[in-house]
Amino acid sequence: MRDVAIIGVGCTNFRARHPDKSYFELAYDAAKDAFADAGLSRTDVEAAVYGIYNDFFQRQYQPDAFVHDYLGLAPAPAVRVNTGGATGGSALRIGYAEVASGLYDIVMVLGVEKCADCFDYATKNPVPEVLRAILYTSDMTYDNPIGRTAASGFALAVLAHMEKYGTPTAEQMAKVSVKNHGNALKNPRAQSGMKITVEDVLNSPKIVDPFKKLDNCLYTEGAACVILASRRKVGEMHLKKPPIWIAGLGAALDWAFPGNRESISEFHGCRVATKKSYDMAGISNPLEQFDVAELHDAFTGTELMSYEDCLFCEPGCGGRLIDDGTVCAGGKLPVNLSGGLIGCGHAVGATGLMQTAEVVWQLRHEAGDRQVPNARRGLVQSIGGTLCAWTVSIVLERND
Amino acid sequence: MATNDKAKKDAFYAYYANKLRLPEASLRPVYDAELDGKKGPDEPFEMPDKMEVLFKYSYGGQSRFFREIFHHNRLLGSKCPKCGKVYCPPRHDCPLCYEKTEWVPLPGTGRVEAFTIQHYSTSVFVKKVPFLVAYVKLDGSDFLMMANIEMDDVGKARPGMPVKVAYRAEKAGAITDIYFEPLEQ
Repeated sequence: MRDVAIIGVGCTNFRARHPDKSYFELAYDAAKDAFADAGLSRTDVEAAVYGIYNDFFQRQYQPDAFVHDYLGLAPAPAVRVNTGGATGGSALRIGYAEVASGLYDIVMVLGVEKCADCFDYATKNPVPEVLRAILYTSDMTYDNPIGRTAASGFALAVLAHMEKYGTPTAEQMAKVSVKNHGNALKNPRAQSGMKITVEDVLNSPKIVDPFKKLDNCLYTEGAACVILASRRKVGEMHLKKPPIWIAGLGAALDWAFPGNRESISEFHGCRVATKKSYDMAGISNPLEQFDVAELHDAFTGTELMSYEDCLFCEPGCGGRLIDDGTVCAGGKLPVNLSGGLIGCGHAVGATGLMQTAEVVWQLRHEAGDRQVPNARRGLVQSIGGTLCAWTVSIVLERND
Repeated sequence: MATNDKAKKDAFYAYYANKLRLPEASLRPVYDAELDGKKGPDEPFEMPDKMEVLFKYSYGGQSRFFREIFHHNRLLGSKCPKCGKVYCPPRHDCPLCYEKTEWVPLPGTGRVEAFTIQHYSTSVFVKKVPFLVAYVKLDGSDFLMMANIEMDDVGKARPGMPVKVAYRAEKAGAITDIYFEPLEQ
């Protein structure tokens, strides 16, 4: 298997809505940024992987073909990946495999998502219709008809975790919201930078028990693009910026009906994916070996569970890492300095690639006010589906 | 406004009210500015739409499960003859042994493994809030089933609470023909 580097990244602003852009125009903006960042043009791209989640969000089935056309990449081969919230990470995984295998030397991985063209005319608000579109990706026979949402799936896992371990507490979850909204204040691309308090979170409207409004991520539109290259190509190119290497990568697809799993109080698939990526990259002590991490904080409670499933701590102890500041800016392992899904936003197909771009900027020391001094190695976790069916775990590092 | 313009607007709203099956009144506040020519030439041009497909779908190998509920108020599971595990939701085939399962009756009782209160939901369900979504461990089944629990005061739901299946009088041939309620309410 060949070594694979990230040699360019691009990312649009993450916003509740980009009414002035169609999905393919958003994709164009991110691709143009990434090409400029890598010092490449469209004709250098040998193959493309598109991460696009929901066809209703785009108002288009098979939207990847039209993105590819708009980017002028014909007749390069391309595939579209859709693994729910993990779509961005999964797209990166396929691009990685295409370069590592020797099939191509330069692959473009692009995630894009609209959503707020969905619109509920009764409330004059996109969100209820966005939720309806999302629920078409839950099981249509048993799960969709009972009115569950993505939030209630993860809520059941967090509640089962609380029943088993007594954590996370409402206050610990609120602290994650305060942290991620606060981090987003320093990210010019972020949708929802806010200085808020634990009380603000606890007093925000209930959405799905135990999640309050401010425990939830946002619905977001945006695009992010990552350019991958083989070691051979990196050697031939005169890159202006240090290549960031994919040192480890693991993935899992757990039972999609979580009722078939041995436990719903932890995310077994996430642990499997994490361990695979850590074994590949030689990670035995993540708190010591990572300088920065971007985790899939669709909900505050699941970020806390992820500390455990990413082996930052023992099961049941995730809350301690927010209580003692370990995961805060300036802490031992800052998590979601981009603001994550809660602060920067969740433009589903683009999210994992936005978080990859954040880690790349950190490792290149280009992260501005968010910069972790001397960052050398980082983690990206991308999860999706009912109670974390899909997980992709990616270890990135700088070798120069 | 000229009469002709009013007629064009009325025709536009009549067309989309029919296409989207929504009252015209819900569309007019959203599109009047555009129809009245008040938007700039480069402002986003927004229009209504709806994506829909009609179905006559088959439940395939799970047909008997839904038919028994629909006609007879009976709850079935499916049992693997090799490993003995019982599935509900049922499966025609055991995913562990790759054997065809056999139908077995379930008593319809169980307990709540985990539950959440939905205070918000999709446009289809938002009028029903607050309501309960739970994982139920059915007696006689080895796995959890996601289901609604209906009770007068959703605040009184507890993990581990014993529940029993209930059947709606008016059925739709869907999983919502059943729900759960506390064993002792």
